[in-house]
Amino acid sequence: MIFGIRQSVVVATLLATLGAAVLAVLSWKGTQVSGEAFLVTTYIGLFLGALWAMYATGLVVVYTTTGVFNFAQGAIGVFSAFLYWELHVNRGWHSILALFVVVVLFAPALGVTLDILLMRRMRTATLVVQLMVTVAVMVLLLALVGAVWDADTPRRVPFLFGIGNGIDLGPARLPWHRLIVFVVAVVIAVSMRFLLRRTRIGTAMRAVVDNRELAALNGARPNVVSSTSWALGSMLGALGGILIAPELGLDPATLNSVVIIAFAAAAFGALRNLPLAVMGAMLLGLLRQHTEQWLDFGPDFRFAHLSIAPLLLLFVVVALPQARLEVGRLAHNLRRHERYTNWWEGLIGCGVIILLAVVFSGGGLNFKVWDPGPWGGPELNSVNFYMTFALIGLSLVPLVGWTGQINLAPLAFAGFGAFVYLKLAGDTGNGYWIPLVGLLCAPFGALVALPAARLRGLYLALMTLALAQAMSLIFFPHPWVMPIIGTGRQFPHIELFGITFDDRRGLLMLLVCTFAICVYGLILLRRSRFGRRWMAINDSQAASATLGVPVVWTKVVVYAVSAAIAGIGGVFWATVSGNVDSVQGFELLVGFNIVLLVAAAGVSIPMAGIFLVFFPAFIGLADRLEDVGGTGGIVWTIEEILLPFGPGLMALGMVFNPRGAIFEMGRGFSPILPWRSDARAEIAAENAQKREPEIGELGIERPFTPEEVIAIDRRLGILDEVVPKEGYGTSRS
Amino acid sequence: MAWVRLSAALYSRYAAREARRSTEGGNVKHLRWIIGLLAVLALVAVACGGGNDDDESGSAAPTAAPTAAADDMGDDMGDDSMGDDDDMGDDMGDDSMGDDDDMGDDMGDDSMGDDDMDDMGDDSMGDEDDQMDDSDAEPVATEEPEVDPCEAVDLEATDIGVTEDTITVLVMADVGSPLAPGLFQGSIDGVKAWANHVNAEGGLACRQVEVIEHDSQINPTETTNGFLKACEDAFALVGTTALFALDTTDLQTCSDAHGNDIGVPDFAYITTEPPHQCSVVTFATSRPNSECPYAGTGDRAVQSQVGHVQWLLENIEPDINGVYLIPSDLPSTIATSMPQVRSFQEIGVVIDGEPGVSGFTTQSEYGAYIQIMRDNDSNFAYSGSDDQSMIKWRSEAEAQGLDTDSVIWMCQLACYTPSFLEAGDVVENTYMWIWFLPFDETDTNQELADFMEAIDDPFPPAWAAGSWADGVLFEQVVNGIVAESGPNALTRQAVLDGARNLTSFDVNGWWSPADYSTTENIMPCFMLMQVQNNEFVRVHPQERGELDCNPDNVVGLTRDWGAEFGG
Repeated sequence: MIFGIRQSVVVATLLATLGAAVLAVLSWKGTQVSGEAFLVTTYIGLFLGALWAMYATGLVVVYTTTGVFNFAQGAIGVFSAFLYWELHVNRGWHSILALFVVVVLFAPALGVTLDILLMRRMRTATLVVQLMVTVAVMVLLLALVGAVWDADTPRRVPFLFGIGNGIDLGPARLPWHRLIVFVVAVVIAVSMRFLLRRTRIGTAMRAVVDNRELAALNGARPNVVSSTSWALGSMLGALGGILIAPELGLDPATLNSVVIIAFAAAAFGALRNLPLAVMGAMLLGLLRQHTEQWLDFGPDFRFAHLSIAPLLLLFVVVALPQARLEVGRLAHNLRRHERYTNWWEGLIGCGVIILLAVVFSGGGLNFKVWDPGPWGGPELNSVNFYMTFALIGLSLVPLVGWTGQINLAPLAFAGFGAFVYLKLAGDTGNGYWIPLVGLLCAPFGALVALPAARLRGLYLALMTLALAQAMSLIFFPHPWVMPIIGTGRQFPHIELFGITFDDRRGLLMLLVCTFAICVYGLILLRRSRFGRRWMAINDSQAASATLGVPVVWTKVVVYAVSAAIAGIGGVFWATVSGNVDSVQGFELLVGFNIVLLVAAAGVSIPMAGIFLVFFPAFIGLADRLEDVGGTGGIVWTIEEILLPFGPGLMALGMVFNPRGAIFEMGRGFSPILPWRSDARAEIAAENAQKREPEIGELGIERPFTPEEVIAIDRRLGILDEVVPKEGYGTSRS
Repeated sequence: MAWVRLSAALYSRYAAREARRSTEGGNVKHLRWIIGLLAVLALVAVACGGGNDDDESGSAAPTAAPTAAADDMGDDMGDDSMGDDDDMGDDMGDDSMGDDDDMGDDMGDDSMGDDDMDDMGDDSMGDEDDQMDDSDAEPVATEEPEVDPCEAVDLEATDIGVTEDTITVLVMADVGSPLAPGLFQGSIDGVKAWANHVNAEGGLACRQVEVIEHDSQINPTETTNGFLKACEDAFALVGTTALFALDTTDLQTCSDAHGNDIGVPDFAYITTEPPHQCSVVTFATSRPNSECPYAGTGDRAVQSQVGHVQWLLENIEPDINGVYLIPSDLPSTIATSMPQVRSFQEIGVVIDGEPGVSGFTTQSEYGAYIQIMRDNDSNFAYSGSDDQSMIKWRSEAEAQGLDTDSVIWMCQLACYTPSFLEAGDVVENTYMWIWFLPFDETDTNQELADFMEAIDDPFPPAWAAGSWADGVLFEQVVNGIVAESGPNALTRQAVLDGARNLTSFDVNGWWSPADYSTTENIMPCFMLMQVQNNEFVRVHPQERGELDCNPDNVVGLTRDWGAEFGG
């Protein structure tokens, strides 16, 4: 320990500072440093930091008081900013009135609604479900913004307090608006700190997160407290969105992107410490603005200054000590019903997928009531593209589904695979390199696993998020990694076994066969001793280690396997696309959508990847229906609802079916199969359980009835002989 | 909703058919060749006379805008018949000659008019006069009994997307992205408006134009799907406004009805990526002005428009030094902006800084650019980005207390939007240049007037205008084929040949002329506007309906543009 700080942290910080200093010297612009320029740059940096601090404060408050890390914090800000624009600019309301309506009325209502409809139901859900549901809320809110306010109309939110006047600081001027925003950000952070630490409600908020039942027994009202927390967090998100909108413009994607910076700031405060989170935001603002002013990274690293936040997030998560995280606790009533797929069942499943692909690519689908005719180029192209996403999504199954290691960066692994293939195969399209790409991606995955070995839960999610963002800003835009697109194709058609796969039908078959091989390989792997270790780690790392499972090594291997599959998926993704845009192609939201859809389908089911193909196929079907004049409600429903809202709505389904849609479908279907007596028994047991009375809130919201006490005893396994048949109340009387 | 759409579609088909019937019955036959000859004489006279004044000033009406000469021509000669599509083929050779001379004087290009397609292109430039003076010509026209050329031919299905009754075109635009829904909806509206207009005028190649849509969703896969859909269902793509056309293999190798892999004609508005810019079947009205093919790195010859800055140097401030903001989110936007920066330097502008700006840049971060301006005492600020970027820049300059009046603020077409004006006083005095006549000058150009009437929007987005221009380009090529070989000669190959030989097209005088036989040449004409009292005010050329077409407006440079960007 050095001054009370861990030695490793001090060394890491010193090394990082030294590295940053060397980088700064190497990329010095040569601009003369004047006091004026330094002053202006500093105040702008602090102001930016204040804006980000507001978002970060909201994140920390919601996390501290509900235990949910809210990915939708930025989207709440986006929606609120648009609503403010609608009221103030479009409808002419006074700014204060509009601000009041949005921040004091609308935002808390939104927060409470989210809590009642979704968040309360996720109290005992796994971390993956919690995160994905907040991501789904983010996607839905952004889609709603798009549906209500068309993007064809550029909008501007005026500065709340005017921008033209302010305090003259020598050569520069500090506008009132920015000064007030800065003060507001600091005041909010201080008052939130006071609220959480010094008031009864604040203590109750934190207590409910720590132990809901115990807090309730001590007089707290968990549901009210939880709603208050969401209302508060939502208000902070709304205020942040409205204050940052004049600076950034009213563009949903741009406004929402700010939340990544807020993540970094919040992580700087270990997700719980408000003063540190605010300091982190200020530090980020200063770093970004001074980097922009004094350093020049050249055209190949043109997004370097934007990558400061994800790099800091990466550093903080990996290097700094972790706070105890209380998320993703196992549900009381969620017993795992794991069943290992038989080898012959896997073979049949893979065969069915290949058969479907043959029928589809041959245009042989006939819906009896209406023949869509042969599928043409667009449909095949879409299915090929989404099959590559299915392959990338498949990489999440062993990692997230079986081992419980969260990964929000599947596209980073896939992009790395595409890069490796580009270097190996060049412009030959030689498909024999593809397995080698998988092998070379494995060490990359293992490298990521090293810091991941000591991270858990949310920190792991944030690390992968930061990795994905940093790679999309620094690695992929470099022309050596992804050459700038020219007239031709970056990725030629694959040549394998003397066949050039320039025909989409052939490519689909190649893709589906690769997918099937990977699925089958995973099914076999899961049945192996190694696969069972993954499941054990997912259940309990501590218990696994106690039983002699090498936890770190097992994690490294599972990351390697996942990276290999994603890398192969990346090769196909790039080849199907022909050219990959080095910036847009690796956007964080694209990767999010893959994770979202796989999680919604059932991240522990290898076949869930294929779910990614159903969605575009469904949309293609709508197009076909429209082309032949078959309209009615189906086309409208698909175009107006499913297209923008589909992924989000599907992911929201996880609140009710945490293990995913494919899993639930499988549970419904499997009792029909003659050899699945286990499934029939499971359904029968569940039905018996349903007949028992609902326990509800365990006596927290209302007193127990004698029947409920008996039910609890039975759940706890207390023998019937001990429990009086007529009930406790009766026996006492 | 779906039923409403279906009803609307059925109604529009019915209305178009009715409109066609009425125009078929009401058409009159004119004394075309006599009038054409008179028109030629008039145009020659104009070219040798009043037109020289324009040349000396470097300013010229590219078409029959209401300059004195053009007015005289319209009034005195009564050259009305040439505007009619049906008559175009007959008029073509003669009609264009006067325009060729005119163009030759303006642009220093004597080669124009050497071939038929060139003539065809220029032919349209006289059309506005002809159309605008239709009313004067009515008595003359009725003297000839009308023969509908369409009735003399048994129409056939000649290629994919062409039946005996219809020509199907596909308009693809980035519309349905969840994050930016409706982004380029204007393009779809523009093509639909053009098709309705053409159908109401009697159709194209004796057929009605049908428009199918495809939403490319700012998504490379959906863009490829659009190409594939066009290949299967449409005769051509018209009004393509897709930002991520990263792979145009399917576009260029699509088979026609005869099994030849010749590609689908693609009349695009924008081509942002090299595969689209260099596609051999793409003809973009917003010219790529870049050398093709291109490997993505290395030297590339690019032409840039500098006339607007040259004008500033000559008329506002002889010593210009300042900052150019490079939109740096995509390599393609860098590659578009860097040639312009270097071209400005070529004509004497001192560049104090060329920072990259992102769509994610906050207004306060523009403070860094203000600081560069302060440090260098800059008097020039040019944004290669969009209107919102310019608004942020100017707002931040106000916030920082910069003396904004001492700076020439300038941007391009992207600032010609209503939302730019909505920013209020902060954007006052900003200059911007465009390459077509502005939307409020409908009295000077018939094509512009038709567009504004059809689009039914007082200030449509530029891409609506661009897509309409694509429609007119397609229309002109088709009319050329029909004139030469009849309405049954309409094949994709014929359209591709026609478009590739088009050395000058100016959207019937509304836009700067452009050479479609190469990707390298930029549109030479421009006009300069300035925001004054919250309105876009024409600054140069001062005469309404005119563009500055001085050949010196263009600078061509060859560099490795990616490497030129400092970051």
